[in-house]
Amino acid sequence: SHHKVLKLAHGLDPTHPVHKGMEFMAQRLAEKSNGQLTIDIYPSGQLGSEQQCVELLQIGSLAITKVSAAVMESFTPKFKVLGLPYIFRTKEHSFNVFDGEIGKELLLGTEEYWIRGLCFYDAGFRSFYTIDKPIKTPDDLNGLKIRVMKSQSAMEMVKALGGSPTPISWGELYTALQSGVVDGAENNPPSLYTSHHYEVCKEYSLDEHTCVPDVLIISTKVWNSLTKEEQKWMQEAADESVPVERKYWAESVEESLRVVQEAGVKIHYPDKKLFADKVQGLLNKYKEDKVLGDLIRRIEAVED
Amino acid sequence: MRQKIDKIIEIVLVALMSILVIDVLWQVFSRYVLSAPSSFTDELAGFLLIWVGLLGSAYVAGKNEHLAIDLLLQKMKGMKKRRLQIIINSIVGLFALFVMVIGGAWLVYTRFYLGVNSAALALPLGYVYLVVPVSGLLIIYYSIDNSLNLNIED
Amino acid sequence: MEFLGVIVLVVSFIFLLVIGVPIAFSIGISGILTMLVTIMPLPAATTFAQRMATGLDSFALLAIPFFILAGNIMNKGGIAIRLIDFARVLVGRWPAGLAFVNVFANMLFGAISGSAAASASAIGSIMMPELNKEGYDKNFSAAVNITSATTGLSIPPSNILIVYSLASGGVSITALFLAGYAPGILTGLGIMGMALAMFSYKHFGVKGMVRNVSKFLAVLVGIVLVAVGIYKVKSLVSPGAATAIYGGLAALFAGGFGFYASKHKQGAKRALRTFLNALPSLMLLVIVIGGIVAGFFTATEASAVAVLYALILAFVYRELSWKDLPDVILRSVKTTAFVLLLVATCIGLSWIMAYENIPQNVSEALLALSDNKFVILLIINLILLFVGIFMDMTPAVLIFTPIFLPIVTNLGLDPIHFGIIMVLNLSVGLGTPPVGSLLFIGCSVSEVKIETVVKPLLPMFAVMIVVLLLVTYVPEISLWLPNTLGF
Ligand code: NA
Ligand code: NA
Repeated sequence: SHHKVLKLAHGLDPTHPVHKGMEFMAQRLAEKSNGQLTIDIYPSGQLGSEQQCVELLQIGSLAITKVSAAVMESFTPKFKVLGLPYIFRTKEHSFNVFDGEIGKELLLGTEEYWIRGLCFYDAGFRSFYTIDKPIKTPDDLNGLKIRVMKSQSAMEMVKALGGSPTPISWGELYTALQSGVVDGAENNPPSLYTSHHYEVCKEYSLDEHTCVPDVLIISTKVWNSLTKEEQKWMQEAADESVPVERKYWAESVEESLRVVQEAGVKIHYPDKKLFADKVQGLLNKYKEDKVLGDLIRRIEAVED
Repeated sequence: MRQKIDKIIEIVLVALMSILVIDVLWQVFSRYVLSAPSSFTDELAGFLLIWVGLLGSAYVAGKNEHLAIDLLLQKMKGMKKRRLQIIINSIVGLFALFVMVIGGAWLVYTRFYLGVNSAALALPLGYVYLVVPVSGLLIIYYSIDNSLNLNIED
Repeated sequence: MEFLGVIVLVVSFIFLLVIGVPIAFSIGISGILTMLVTIMPLPAATTFAQRMATGLDSFALLAIPFFILAGNIMNKGGIAIRLIDFARVLVGRWPAGLAFVNVFANMLFGAISGSAAASASAIGSIMMPELNKEGYDKNFSAAVNITSATTGLSIPPSNILIVYSLASGGVSITALFLAGYAPGILTGLGIMGMALAMFSYKHFGVKGMVRNVSKFLAVLVGIVLVAVGIYKVKSLVSPGAATAIYGGLAALFAGGFGFYASKHKQGAKRALRTFLNALPSLMLLVIVIGGIVAGFFTATEASAVAVLYALILAFVYRELSWKDLPDVILRSVKTTAFVLLLVATCIGLSWIMAYENIPQNVSEALLALSDNKFVILLIINLILLFVGIFMDMTPAVLIFTPIFLPIVTNLGLDPIHFGIIMVLNLSVGLGTPPVGSLLFIGCSVSEVKIETVVKPLLPMFAVMIVVLLLVTYVPEISLWLPNTLGF
């Protein structure tokens, strides 16, 4: 018998809900294939950062990886649309986009870049957390140095809201916050919890400015080497893991918010409309873009 | 020829290192003094370090100054020693050829072909990785040149 | 297949090292050969090329070239001499005083920069000319520098502890930082003691060694007793009385110094002049520490600020001209480059080891040997010591934390405690041949060979391993401070 093992690497630690979602997928695939097609998961960035893992997929030494849609921007520009602030009205709206036609189009539109999207995983909403200054309106961001990912759209977004975007590598962020090199950062609740930044940052303002999902992708070289049946199992296992991951995610958000509150973090629920109005100009600029403009209008047309 | 190549690499290395220092100082200055944090310095620093590291490695390889446990070489004399030095140079050259030149060139080619750009500077990543095959070629050149000009008095 | 990978890796690596292939290339070649066992040639070569390049794409790594450059400028610019003169006034009267200065400076500098490599290169390159001038054995000095540089990894802030926290998925970084103080200081003092013993034995024989080491221990015990006494005063008497006692102690100290100065006018004058001379240079430490603590810049950025400050000072002292600068930079790039090539090929090797699950398989097999807590901790320590011989710290922490942490927490170990054990343990590996970034940096700045530095290194390793065992089996050493502060 020929037993195939696919290697999956990602940057999250094994307690993360997205990791658990992928474990479920691996388990389903093993069941469907009767153990003939299995996945080995390498967590914690053992095989490289997200950007590097995508490159390894293209090179052909790694089969599958999970990356943030923000990282996909450098490989397939269309993914930029998912990083735009307040592009999704609600969680349901985002799910309808990921599960629907647009989601499928984005996932399969990467084949010319030698990668193929399998599914979207929920990575929640990103919000601002600061050391001691609560963000209740966009004006509160004025003059604050906010750490952002190395991504142009993330920098544009923080700038549009009035903050000073400061790219700092993730590994250096904890000490940068502790010593006050930056005044705050932005991320989803589970990341605030697992990064321990809540030990330093005591104000978390759930303005929910972006909803950048995670994407599970497979090397086209590996995909084409699978039989039709194996491809079907693979896709089904990925699809089945999506609702499971969403459940894990929701639980993790609740748990994370509870724990950081117990550690003395104050949670704020600012009026999101104030923030959304501030970035309207930025969105309008992107609507004039040939590729992105059309996508934005189509996303807006999707129902909640 | 050898001296010319050395001189060019020296100038490039000093220039890259100087830009690297200025880049990081600018990062502090723009954030702390200007209160307008620079968006590109962090990424540029990483790319410059790749260049300094690999190009510098080729330069150091040319000077035969990479750390080695050379107990065996010290014990040998004459033709035997010469032969071993050529074998070592060939092994290093083969690594440079296979990994740095062939692997590196394929890496550069695919980055350009697939149009991958960096996140902050939107710089084509092919240019960043270009230093891998370039350094590989230099290491091969130095291994050959060093093998041809071994001093066999000792 | 996995078994074959291990054989290819070990055999090719040892063979290449023995015939004298440069270490960085030995690592690279055995890594790529291991890759070829399971990956097709073109993807293997491309992956290795990618790992080498991206391995250097790290902001934190920048501290290495910058502190080397700052150190070289300071050497050329007359700053080092002023610093060392001052340090000599402080501890020069001890036998092995300059070695003490080296250890102390590494504890301070490594603590600030969070990078042992940066510390070894900065402090090492500043100290070495002076140590040589004073007639210290080069290999001995290099050994002191290499081992004491590791103290900065446990004394906070420490990047490697942050890496551990991420890999463990839920250990408080603040608690880890607090836990690192005592083990780091303990290691530093241990190395000082061993340096004193080795130095005294060489120059004064066994009797002198016993005398000097007893003196050293007496001073330490004295300091500890006074510190504990001062700490306990608060709980023994009323707040007002405590303030009075502290005030009295301060007055006594000031009066004592005044008395000393009046008795030794020449000495006091010289000490003051040396201090004033060294002040601008000492300001470098203040600017670096102060800048990081006050949040002007990160630890990595501080290294670039150090370059700038050293440059300004060197020009003010008129001991460096623009014409000298390219040469100083090129020399720094050369020192940096071979370290960076090692990092690059190490990253490639670590990748294929992780990919082939080599570390997991090896440790699983070894752990099947026992279920006794002490034995397992010993086995884990031995495995990590062995791993440290061949692997660099960050990949080792990333790969082994998820494997070992569940085992030790089942045995009732605190994850904070285990983090410190891991860092102390892998710290030893940073100095052991054949693969150790500190070993390479230390040998390079001291201009000695790995073969000859091993002999003075061995007793230093013995001290580090004793501290490691103490910290492993006496959890209070690391946990007392974080527990006292509520973690
Ligand atoms: Na430190
Ligand atoms: Na080692």
